[in-house]
Amino acid sequence: MAVVERYATSARWFHWLIAAVFFELVLSGLLLFIPWLSSGLVGTAMRLIHRIGAVLLVAAPGMFILFSWRRAWHFVKEALIWGKEDLGWIEAAPSYYFGGDPRLMPPQGHSNAGMKLYRLAIFGGAGVFIITGFIMWFLKGIVSPAVFQWCVFLHDITFIIAIIFFLLHVQLAVFHPRMDESLLSMVDGTVSSIYAKSHHGRWYDEITKKNKSR
Amino acid sequence: MNEMAILFDATKCIGCRGCQIACKQWNELKAVNTVNRGTYENPLDLSANTWLTIRFVEEAEGNSVGWLFSRRSCMHCTEAVCIEVCPSGALYHNQYGFVTYDKDKCIGCGYCSQYCPFNVPRLDASRITGVGKIGKCTLCTTPGLDRLSVGQEPACVKTCPTGALVFGDRDELVVEGKRRVASLQTPNSESYPRATLYGKTELGGLHVLYVLADSPEVYGLPKEPEYPVTATVQKSIFRPLTWVIWILVALALGLNVLIARARQIRKGG
Repeated sequence: MAVVERYATSARWFHWLIAAVFFELVLSGLLLFIPWLSSGLVGTAMRLIHRIGAVLLVAAPGMFILFSWRRAWHFVKEALIWGKEDLGWIEAAPSYYFGGDPRLMPPQGHSNAGMKLYRLAIFGGAGVFIITGFIMWFLKGIVSPAVFQWCVFLHDITFIIAIIFFLLHVQLAVFHPRMDESLLSMVDGTVSSIYAKSHHGRWYDEITKKNKSR
Repeated sequence: MNEMAILFDATKCIGCRGCQIACKQWNELKAVNTVNRGTYENPLDLSANTWLTIRFVEEAEGNSVGWLFSRRSCMHCTEAVCIEVCPSGALYHNQYGFVTYDKDKCIGCGYCSQYCPFNVPRLDASRITGVGKIGKCTLCTTPGLDRLSVGQEPACVKTCPTGALVFGDRDELVVEGKRRVASLQTPNSESYPRATLYGKTELGGLHVLYVLADSPEVYGLPKEPEYPVTATVQKSIFRPLTWVIWILVALALGLNVLIARARQIRKGG
């Protein structure tokens, strides 16, 4: 079966690194929700682990930007540039999501509007986490208590929202019948050309044209 | 057990700071080097190892300077935000109504220090690793150093030479405090018309009551100490609702998968 490369090796490694760090941060952050994680030595360890995770969460994209700024910029730009097919996606998505007629969905690029929105949500969420986290870590007792309290509040509410987004991400990648090659594409980097054509038609046309012209 | 309290009478305090020393001694708290800043008030602030200080408020009295003394330490609130925001369950109300804590449980997050309306609990922790503990007054009920369980009064009260500190049943002390304020307000050559009893109703009632000769602000006390609203929202709304929201979202997503699968199979793709 013909396959096309969807995610480069480095992109996949980056994805799973961030996933691992996210998992680590969620687990240690749950100390606020699960009492037996929060007390004594366990709680102290959780806080330490959370800080290590925080460093990794800043360092990983930081290195990515530093050493591969072109691709990092492309990654950001892709989410910011919206075309007609993206508006079409928003119109067609609800029916498509519930297993409706796939022909109603206009051909999509490498990332569709949903993926772009998800990426923007990650940028926003990470921004809130990093800024409020930085203040709570390094500026406790230096900023006013009111600022600290609002940082805790924002960190907290962003976490609750982030988990909802994460659940959606897992549902689409692992369980949704329509996105049946999604998880594997992030594991081995490829999708079948049938999947590429049906799910990312515009992108498929672009890469096949490029290949032909060579 | 009836709720207990201490009554601090600012008009009887002479600023000797014997209570500060007794507190350090009894609770085995390290002394700290301090700097002369042109005031007898020393140390200038609370710390994880300084649970009690006497505040020296200077006031112009004609051509001379008058001193107002005020006790700065944990107020042992009934509505204690520190207990609510403490994720480790280290802080709790004991049988006397005092806010005490289990140092072994404390994880050094310092939330209590950042939410306290009186800025009392202090954190002694590494800024990098965050490892550390808080320190604050327990009114001498710290396990192992518990004076109350052996029938003693708190060390600060025991040592006070002027009777500015009294330990006893809270209800009785409220009555006593009111009596003292009324007598301070009684018109005579040395009366204090603005005298007030602080701590009776603030934050559900404090377990440290203050007889003040003037309004609380003059003594550096917040007139209406506020319970941070975000703490209530997080504890009462976020904590119980979060799991419900997550589970509902997960169920909705699962339902979507079932619907999408059924419709796709029916249509064959």
